[in-house]
Amino acid sequence: MSDAFVLPEWAALAPALVLATTALLLFVYDSISPKSTNRAAIASIAAAGALVSLATAVWFILAGTGAEGVDAGYDLWFVVDEPGAGEGAISVFGGQLIVDQMALFFMVVVSVVTALVAISSYDYMAGHAYQAEYYSLLLLAATGMSTMAAANSLVTIFIALELASLPSYALVAILKDNRGSVEAGLKYFLIGALSSAIFVYGISLVYGATGHLQLESIAETIEAGGADAYGGILGLGILMLIGGFAFKTASVPFHFWAPEAYEGAPAPIAAFLSSASKAAGFVILFRVFTTAFPLEVTTDVIGLEWTHAFIILAIVTMTVGNFAAATQQNVKRMLAYSSVGHAGYAMIGLAGLTVDGGELVLGAAMMHLLVYGFMNTGAFLFVALAEYWGVGRTFEDYRGLASRAPIACAAVAVFMFSLAGIPPFGGFWSKYFLFLGSIEAAATNSAMLVVAAALVINSALSLYYYSRLVKAVWIDDPVTGFDRDFGGTPTGLYTAIVFAAIMTVVLLPGFGPVADVAIDAASAILV
Amino acid sequence: METAFELAPAIVLLPLAAFVVALLVGEYMPKKGALAGIAATAGSLLLSLYVVAAVATGGEHQETYFTWAAGDAFSETGESAIEFTFGILLDPLSALMLVIVSLIAFLVHVFSLGYMNDEGETGLRRYYAELGLFTFSMLAFVVADNLLMAFMFFELVGLCSYLLIGFWFRTESAPSAAKKAFLVTRFGDYFFLLGVVAIGATFGTLAFQGDNSFVAAASDAIEGGEPLFGFEPRTWVTITGLLVLGGVIGKSAQFPLHTWLPDAMEGPTTVSALIHAATMVAAGVYLVARMFGYYALSPTALAIIALVGGFTALFAATMGVVKDDIKQVLAYSTISQYGYMMLGLGVGGYVAGVFHLMNHAFFKALLFLGAGAVIVLMHHEQNMWKMGGLKDKAPVTYYTFLAGALALAGIVPFSGFWSKDEILFDAILVGLNEPIFLVAYAMGLLAVFFTGFYTFRMVFLTFHGEPRSEAARDPHPVGWNIKFPLLTLGVLALVAGVANLAPVYKLTGLEITYLEFWLDGQYGGYADLTYTAYGDTVPFGTEYIAGSETITLLIAAGLGLGLAVAGAIFAMVLYNVPEPEPHTENLGSARTVLRSNYYQDEYQVWIAENLSLPLARTADRFDQSVIDGVVNGVSSVSLFGSSRMKRLQTGVVTNYAALMIVGFIALLLVLGVLGGWFV
Repeated sequence: MSDAFVLPEWAALAPALVLATTALLLFVYDSISPKSTNRAAIASIAAAGALVSLATAVWFILAGTGAEGVDAGYDLWFVVDEPGAGEGAISVFGGQLIVDQMALFFMVVVSVVTALVAISSYDYMAGHAYQAEYYSLLLLAATGMSTMAAANSLVTIFIALELASLPSYALVAILKDNRGSVEAGLKYFLIGALSSAIFVYGISLVYGATGHLQLESIAETIEAGGADAYGGILGLGILMLIGGFAFKTASVPFHFWAPEAYEGAPAPIAAFLSSASKAAGFVILFRVFTTAFPLEVTTDVIGLEWTHAFIILAIVTMTVGNFAAATQQNVKRMLAYSSVGHAGYAMIGLAGLTVDGGELVLGAAMMHLLVYGFMNTGAFLFVALAEYWGVGRTFEDYRGLASRAPIACAAVAVFMFSLAGIPPFGGFWSKYFLFLGSIEAAATNSAMLVVAAALVINSALSLYYYSRLVKAVWIDDPVTGFDRDFGGTPTGLYTAIVFAAIMTVVLLPGFGPVADVAIDAASAILV
Repeated sequence: METAFELAPAIVLLPLAAFVVALLVGEYMPKKGALAGIAATAGSLLLSLYVVAAVATGGEHQETYFTWAAGDAFSETGESAIEFTFGILLDPLSALMLVIVSLIAFLVHVFSLGYMNDEGETGLRRYYAELGLFTFSMLAFVVADNLLMAFMFFELVGLCSYLLIGFWFRTESAPSAAKKAFLVTRFGDYFFLLGVVAIGATFGTLAFQGDNSFVAAASDAIEGGEPLFGFEPRTWVTITGLLVLGGVIGKSAQFPLHTWLPDAMEGPTTVSALIHAATMVAAGVYLVARMFGYYALSPTALAIIALVGGFTALFAATMGVVKDDIKQVLAYSTISQYGYMMLGLGVGGYVAGVFHLMNHAFFKALLFLGAGAVIVLMHHEQNMWKMGGLKDKAPVTYYTFLAGALALAGIVPFSGFWSKDEILFDAILVGLNEPIFLVAYAMGLLAVFFTGFYTFRMVFLTFHGEPRSEAARDPHPVGWNIKFPLLTLGVLALVAGVANLAPVYKLTGLEITYLEFWLDGQYGGYADLTYTAYGDTVPFGTEYIAGSETITLLIAAGLGLGLAVAGAIFAMVLYNVPEPEPHTENLGSARTVLRSNYYQDEYQVWIAENLSLPLARTADRFDQSVIDGVVNGVSSVSLFGSSRMKRLQTGVVTNYAALMIVGFIALLLVLGVLGGWFV
């Protein structure tokens, strides 16, 4: 390990900082030329920022930043200026933020989705006002999500969460002339406000019981018996925290905003919210529950294993999401509910934790969120493409689209089958690992068998509605009068869709390293 | 030597390349892909000869090229892992078979120029592509170094013969014959697959050769005496061996799964030559030879092989007597001859069986190609009663066909005599010690007479006497591309017997049993795959008539030759006349039975219609009502549930807030009660 390349400690936050800087850059650009119609420049700045953030995050992962004593064997070793650095998580600002493998992993997810959304928005948002605002809001939300990945104290968590949420409300409502968009924005905001209230209340209860906000300190207090007298309060606080996270991840019963917001929002924003925002919600959920409330110490205080809450939530969320998706006529709404269902799958990651294990299942949930970042974003971007062409909203309207746009429709077939978990695609592996992890966890907690069964049943059901879309675009006869020209081939959207499709496919052969990184990240936070 | 082994994969891959070339660009090539096939098989032949040379100078080779699956699975004998691989095994047996297959395939390709191209057939691109794939499959099967790979290419061979038998798919009979061949052999292959799984699960390995082979593992298990899956080890070896034998019986057309083979005559005659001489049918017997060490461990399995073989030899020979179609006669002769090979292997005569496999490949390819030439001469007439007198008009065809016929009938000094004699000699030796084998021997011996008879009935009806139709009076000329393969094979049918003149050796002591030395690994080869090694394992003792090998030898050879000649002379008396009569009609009701092939097809159809079909119907009814009912029920419940779920989403934001809180409180109550927070 040479010291040829020394960066200060806070530089470990580079992926989030790059996003924030880009957002500010867009403000500057907008204030210099507020009337600019140079949309290409604005979109490029946003996309470039997201890509730089992605590149830094990937580089850090490869260099082993924040990894647990791993010599990654790369020359580009990321060194912070203190001896023994590069080993273990890098904690910044007195432990308020932390950069470890899991944080970087989710920063990758966030920046990839942001890049895809920025690229595709270039076409989708053509002809709309407030371009610079749109992109800077997007990047600010992404900054919030990136920070969520690194947040390590209930305060920073709350701030990051709000930083991600507030721009999202505005983004959903950005089509100001569209009643659906505005209504969705308002509903999203109201539900969000209620959830935030519950969340903050939860924080205050946890603080009341333990006297700390920093996650490790909370765990230490609980372990030291400092919260023994307040078991009920702590339990209630934890449950309220779960409520706040359930809102962010669109899990039942805090999911009601999702179908409305996704449907009303511009499709790229729906993709953004359902992939990146959900992933960010999960990373924070994983961190809080593994760091602040380790099972072995918390169980005695609150009287039961908190995994029970996640078992219930996972089963209910999967079932509600998939069942509600099954008979939807509107494609975007179907995807919205499917996204709720996938939150249920990812929740297995926490439901399957046990006192002395769970790397596999937690790693599987992380993998699922990564793959999901590609396949779900791609699916929403396909809807964006259809909206761009003015095709219509229902399955009926999508009939025979393959004759018009074979490449995009091939991509959508990939997304749908991957979402359903059909073997040749990335979605199969992550679901397979989730299933495997549940079965493994069932050895100590037999309720996990029910979760595994629910996973299988819901996957089977999901194949039904996912294949409906594939059938509509590929097999059904085109709608009559379908010959009209849609107005060109939007390059940005196509690029994003095809890239997402390629990633969904190549994640299968590339799954070995991805699985390794995810499981390493999972075991690092489970220590 | 090393070069030869390194090039060995090319032997297999060249025909595959020909397949691809013919498939992709065959339409634009002169001769529609035939040239690619000829070049590829010629290349395979040369490389095979190179491999033979390498083995002859003391080489042997086993190499794994690709492990496509590996996993931890405890086998019954305690192996902790199993691997599934593709690899090649080159030893005397496979090297010999490589030459046979590539030679016959090469000659068939050349012959096809005359039989298919010159006759203006359509679909030639498909024909040559399938021929290439067929050759590839068989060669890959031959070099396979493990049972699973052998099984896979065994199946591919079956697929290719399905495609080629049904080549004229617009006729009514060809597709039906192709389907029959496919289904009947598949029935046998089903047992083969079970056998592969059973052997893999028992021994944790599927390799043919070496200390890690399943043969060695089985031998150890029998020595150790630990029961396998609750059976005596030897019993279990017998069971698994017989399961594999199911595939052999299907492919090599042994009783009772021989019924597909006569129908398979619907394919082009060139294809029949390939199927009967070197590929499809030969695959079965070759498999027994390949894993002979395994069968050698089980006297029961060997006895069954011998009895099935002997019975099939006789059974098929009797049916061949009454056929009028030249290709049908040859078809039954094939079944009968493979019966001999099985008989030979079943009595432990590994060399004799392989020797007959080789000789049969030459003379049967010759006879089929000769029959093809006759069919060309006769303007596509196959009924022997419409022929006659071709002897003077097509001398090359006649003399080569005659050479093949003499070899088939087993008349000295043609090749068939030597190998058949050796099989029968081995059988009588074992039979004198273990009487059950005498039954098999007697059936094999009796079949010799019928073989001589039907062979020469065919020769005389086709070539002798007066022409009995317009076509026979004015035959269509044949070109060099037909004559060249016939002459090559004619010479081989005459001289191939020199490879193993065992009787001469036993009488004179001259060491000229080259094939035996070859298969015994005296030039090169693996010690565990030699005749001596097998001989040590085979549990049968031998005995001689009057205690003398010479007397036994003379009696056995004399009996065999005498019966063959008697059959031939009987045929000559009846049919070598200017205007032959259909004498078989004098057989009366026996003829009806024989013409109907002992009602084999009828009873198999009866089984299909009265047992399989009702069973299938019941299963279908179960599937339609119970399974589908459950599935449909699940789907309607799901859709109903789905429509309920949708109603949760009312669109009114206050409802959402209320539901959220209700949900949250419900969760709180459940967990709170469980956790005792309210106390």
